[in-house]
Amino acid sequence: MSAAHPLAGESLGGEAPPGLAVARPLPDLYPPRKAYGRIRRTWRRHPTIVIGGIILLIVALMAILAPYLGTVDPTAIAPSRRTRVPSAQYWFGTDMLGRDLYSRVVYGARVSLLVGFAVAFFASIAGLVVGLVSGMVRWADSIIMRIVDGLMSIPPILLAIALMALTRGSIENVILAITVAEIPRVARLVRGVVLSLREQPYVEAAVTTGTRMPTIIWRHILPNTLAPMTVQATYICASAMIAESILSFIGAGVPPSTPSWGNIMAEGRALWQVKFYIILFPAIFLSLTVLAVNLVGDGLRDALDPRMAKDA
Amino acid sequence: MFGFLVKRILAVIPVMAVVGLFVFSLLSLAPGDPAALIAGDQASPADIERIRASLGLDRPFLIRFGEWGWRILHGDLGTSLFTNMPVTTMIGQRVQPTVSLMLVTLILAVLVAVPLGVVAAWKAGRLLDRLVMGAAVLGFSVPVFVIGYLLAYVFALELGWLPAQGYTPIEQGVGSWFASLVLPSLTLGLVYIALIARVTRATMLDVLSQDYVRTARAKGVAQGGVLFVHALKNAAVPIVTVIGIGIALLIGGAVVTETVFAIPGLGRLTVDAILRRDYPVIQGVVLLFSFTYVLVNLAIDLLYTLIDPRIRY
Repeated sequence: MSAAHPLAGESLGGEAPPGLAVARPLPDLYPPRKAYGRIRRTWRRHPTIVIGGIILLIVALMAILAPYLGTVDPTAIAPSRRTRVPSAQYWFGTDMLGRDLYSRVVYGARVSLLVGFAVAFFASIAGLVVGLVSGMVRWADSIIMRIVDGLMSIPPILLAIALMALTRGSIENVILAITVAEIPRVARLVRGVVLSLREQPYVEAAVTTGTRMPTIIWRHILPNTLAPMTVQATYICASAMIAESILSFIGAGVPPSTPSWGNIMAEGRALWQVKFYIILFPAIFLSLTVLAVNLVGDGLRDALDPRMAKDA
Repeated sequence: MFGFLVKRILAVIPVMAVVGLFVFSLLSLAPGDPAALIAGDQASPADIERIRASLGLDRPFLIRFGEWGWRILHGDLGTSLFTNMPVTTMIGQRVQPTVSLMLVTLILAVLVAVPLGVVAAWKAGRLLDRLVMGAAVLGFSVPVFVIGYLLAYVFALELGWLPAQGYTPIEQGVGSWFASLVLPSLTLGLVYIALIARVTRATMLDVLSQDYVRTARAKGVAQGGVLFVHALKNAAVPIVTVIGIGIALLIGGAVVTETVFAIPGLGRLTVDAILRRDYPVIQGVVLLFSFTYVLVNLAIDLLYTLIDPRIRY
C-alpha cells in the first residue's frame, strides 16, 4: 500500500525543472485496501483461537460421528485377541480384554467433551447466580463469601474425589461433582466484577434515576460479566476434562462400561511397562483436546481484554 | 500489626469450620442410605447396621457434628472402616512420602519457574519468550498422569536412569531417596512450573517498565542485577502468592502422581479409601490437606510484610 501512496513520491527529479519539485498528480481513487476474509482476519489477529477451534471441531466431529469412523463396538470383548499391538486391523491395538482401542478412543471423545462443556455451562450459570447475589445483596455477601472461602480451601480435585466417593460412578455424577468443585471460583470472579461495576458512574446514575434493581442487573451488570465469564468458562472446560480423566483414572469416575480416555488409561495402568500404547493413544487425544480448549481460552482472553494481551 | 496477626489467624477458624461442616455433611447429602452405600452391594444387613452404628448415623445430625468436631480438635480423626486402625495412625504412616514429594517438587519448581519467567519477561516478544510461554500452555494442558507415564517410559524404561516405581524412605539413604523422587517431582511440578512462570513473567513485565528499573540501568547496574535484584524483589509479592495458591495443584496432583509411580503416600491412601468407600479416612485426608493449604496461605499472608516492608497492616 505504501508504495502506491500518492505523497510518497519524491524521486521526480528527472521530470522536474532544476530547483523545483513537482508533485505527482493525485490519483482519482486510493487503491482499495486488500480485503481480508473474515477467517483470514481472525487468523491474523487470534491464531490461537483458530488453531484451537479447528482441533476442537475435529474432536467434536469425531465424537458425533463415532459410529461411522470405521469403529467397532467399543465394549466388545474378545479374549483371544487381547493386547494386540497397533496394526492395519487394529489401528491403536487392543486392550487386555481384546477390545479395539481405536474404537474406544474415538468413543471416549464423547465423555470428555460432554463433561467439559456441561461442567463449563452449569458451573458458569451457578457461579453467576451466586456471584450476583453476593455482589448485589450486602447482607448475604459475608455469609456466601465465608462458604466460598471454605470450599476454595479444599483443592478442587480432592473435593470432586470426596463427592464421587459417595455416589456411584456415572457421567451425571462426575459432571455434578466437578461442577460443585468449580462453582466457588466462578462465584468469586463474578462477585469481584459486580463489586467494581457497582461503583461505575452509569450504574450509580441508573440507581439515582430510580431504575429498578432487576433492570440494572439485566441491562448494566450482566452484559459486563459476560466477557470474563466466557474466558473463565473455557478454562473451566479444560480443567473439567482433566478432572474427569483423573477421576476415571483413579477409579472414581465414569463407570468402566463407558469408554472414556481416563478409563482406558486406568485399564492400561497395569500393563504400562510392556504395552505402553494402551496409555499413549488416549493420552495424546486428551492432551490435544485440553490444549485446544486452552488455546481458545488464551485467544479469547486476549481478544476480550486487550489490556491482558501483553501479559501472555 | 499485632492486631492484624491475631485477626488473620482467627480468620482461619471460620474457614476450617466450613470445610469441616462440608466434609462431615457429605455423608448426609449422599442420596439414599449412607451406611448401605458405604457397605457396598454385597453387604449383609448386619454389616450395614455395624457401619451405621460406628458412624453414629442413628443419632441427630447436629449432635453428631458437634461430637465429631470435638474429637477432631483432640486429634482423633476416627477409625477406618476397613482396617479398624485409627485414621491418624494410617495418615502418620503415609505422611513421609507425600511431604518429601511435595517439598522436592516445590523447591524444584521455584528454582526452575522463577528464572524462566524472569528471562521470558526480559526477552518479551522474542523467540525465547514465545518458547517458554508455549511450553507453559502445554504444561497446563497435558494431564499429570500423562506426563508421569511419558517420563517414566523414557527415563526409567528406555534409558534406565531412574527407578520407574516406588519410593525409598529417606532413612535408606538420601541419594536413593532423591532418585526415587526425581521423576514424580518433575511430573507433579510441570503444571506448577507453568503457573509460576506465567505469573512471574506478567509481574516482571509490569515491574521492568517502572522508573526505578530505568534508574538502576542508568547508574550502570548489570543486566543480571537489574533483573534479579531490583526487579524481582519488587515482583515478589504476586509470585509468592501464586506459589501458595498453586499448592492446591500440588495436592490434587499428588493423588495422581502417587498412583502412577506407586508411591505409598497420602494420595495413594485417598485412592484406596475411595475404592473401599472408607469414609472416615477420606474425611481425614481431605481435612488434613485443606488445613495444610489454609496454613500455607496464612503463612504467605504473614510473609508479605517481610518481603515488602511497605505493606503494613
